[in-house]
Amino acid sequence: MSQPRVFLVDDHELIRSGIRSELTGSVDIIGEADEVDVAIEMILERTPDVVLLDVHMPGGGGIAVLRAVIEKVPAVRFLALSVSDASEDVIGVIRAGARGYVTKNISGPDLLDAIYRVAAGDAVFSPRLAGFVLDAFSLEGKILEAGDVDPELDQLTPRERQVLRLIARGYSYRDIGSELTISSKTVESHVSSVLRKLQLSNRHQLTNWVSERHLY
Amino acid sequence: MAITTAPHAIIGTPQRPFRRGVGNAILGGVCGGLAIRLGVRERTVRVIFSLLALISGLGLLLYMLLWLTLPRSGEGHVIAQRILGKRRELHRTLLGFIVVLASMIILFRLGIPSFGIYTWPVLLSAAGIVGVWRGSSPDERRHLEDLVKSAPLIRVPPSKSRKNFWLRVLLGSVFIFVGLRSLSHIHGVWGGATPQLFGTLIVIVGVLILLAPWWLETLSELSGERRARVRVEERANVAAHLHDSVLQTLTLIERAAGDETAVVRLARKQERELRQWLFDPNQEDSGAATSTYSSLLHNIENEIESDYGVKVELVIVGDCDASDAVLALIAAGREAAINAARWSGAGSLSIFAEVETNNITLFVRDQGQGFDVDAVPSDRRGIALSIRQRMNQHGGTVSIKSIIGAGSEVQLALPRSS
Repeated sequence: MSQPRVFLVDDHELIRSGIRSELTGSVDIIGEADEVDVAIEMILERTPDVVLLDVHMPGGGGIAVLRAVIEKVPAVRFLALSVSDASEDVIGVIRAGARGYVTKNISGPDLLDAIYRVAAGDAVFSPRLAGFVLDAFSLEGKILEAGDVDPELDQLTPRERQVLRLIARGYSYRDIGSELTISSKTVESHVSSVLRKLQLSNRHQLTNWVSERHLY
Repeated sequence: MAITTAPHAIIGTPQRPFRRGVGNAILGGVCGGLAIRLGVRERTVRVIFSLLALISGLGLLLYMLLWLTLPRSGEGHVIAQRILGKRRELHRTLLGFIVVLASMIILFRLGIPSFGIYTWPVLLSAAGIVGVWRGSSPDERRHLEDLVKSAPLIRVPPSKSRKNFWLRVLLGSVFIFVGLRSLSHIHGVWGGATPQLFGTLIVIVGVLILLAPWWLETLSELSGERRARVRVEERANVAAHLHDSVLQTLTLIERAAGDETAVVRLARKQERELRQWLFDPNQEDSGAATSTYSSLLHNIENEIESDYGVKVELVIVGDCDASDAVLALIAAGREAAINAARWSGAGSLSIFAEVETNNITLFVRDQGQGFDVDAVPSDRRGIALSIRQRMNQHGGTVSIKSIIGAGSEVQLALPRSS
């Protein structure tokens, strides 16, 4: 696979230069922006494969960029990058369409791995995010409106649960594959399916977070 | 798309396109825009619109319609489009309309003299105003706000000009007088509750007109002062916290500049503390008083990170109170984590804890050098006593997996007695 074309969005110059120096040579960095409006314009113009997106930015935050771009060019994939792994931040960007979420203290190789995975159309779950999903989809959890229960979207399969637990325990996709004796492609498809549920489910734990912060 | 037209009408020269005026607008700029478009005096257009409005209310409707559907000069979108485009705005506008409608109907029911032929135009225009307010651009809204503020009777603060003062006193007195008259006629031909209500209402309106500006001023002064005080306090709190934590740590880092591990350890400790303070304010004062499974695990995380300089990735799903069995599980997990931090050589370790209906699990994993599980003498205190014995005492299970060169994982499980 050729090098993915990556675009950086972060309002801190220090963070951008740090990421740039870690990624240079391994990916093709085609631009960067430090403001929401500029970012939207440049991303729409250059259509990168992956956008590394800071969640907290003045002027609407990363979510504003996500919304504006995904509406017009759904092919652009987003990997959210933030100092905070507070659940409402995570859930906000994932439900707005990001394919993954990592914290800024992630190591260089791990970030690179995550970028390649997002570029390939897979989802990237940090252990914290996996734990959060297990919590939100817990069996005891209630669902917003009983009439709206969609078993396809509002429940995890036992296999998906297993995969998430292993991610939370710090296993890589390859380790998970050998632990469950399935291929890592299958692991990836389970994770992608969890991502879809996370984005579309009506479980009240998810909708609450979103509505409390007026994200919709 | 955004087209800017001339600020004023040029008499005798019609100009395209048709936009609402900005420079010559009084209310929505409809008359001004029309004047520019037709090349006639603004005043002429305004008089015609006023006459139309007075005769049948038609002018009012026409004005509202143009206001909602004609773009303002220099803006690309029309107000109607903005309202219809956003679901939330649409809902709010509809809600506002319903409130207006409901209050009108209630007024009619109460027998307040109806407006006759003006009823529907006035009603629809009121709804239109709600729409304009919700859908106008920030720029236009500022214009409208200024307009409202400069209205002579609502102005805040009370203007010093005598004319305004006397106008207010006069109008207020008239309202109170009319209201009192209406109240004193209760025993007349009408009788009943309606005039009573009507009269009271008018008296209240009169009092409001008289006193509102002073009341509003006091109110805004009060809340302004309160806000300023809160801000100062908040600032002092943040400053105190930053001083105690961040500045101290920075000093320590400066002193330990040569010692790489010490610097990393200090930075991590500070990061964790700051993060908790910023994002998890509820846990801040959960001291020894409330010890739950998760709070005790957080303590282990802190301990390992500050004592061994190893990064801990802690994930917790669910929570429960700390019973004796849970305390034993925690102690066993702590031992496993310390072992991993001390011996594995890995820079980080993962702890995953889950509370389910029937059992509680705890996984401690590192990707360090690993060890041969069977080769560890069974009398070695760490694993045997601290982990296995503790778990067995409470009916729990221990499983240790390790691969030389690839790391180890200690799996602890405890049945949950409900």
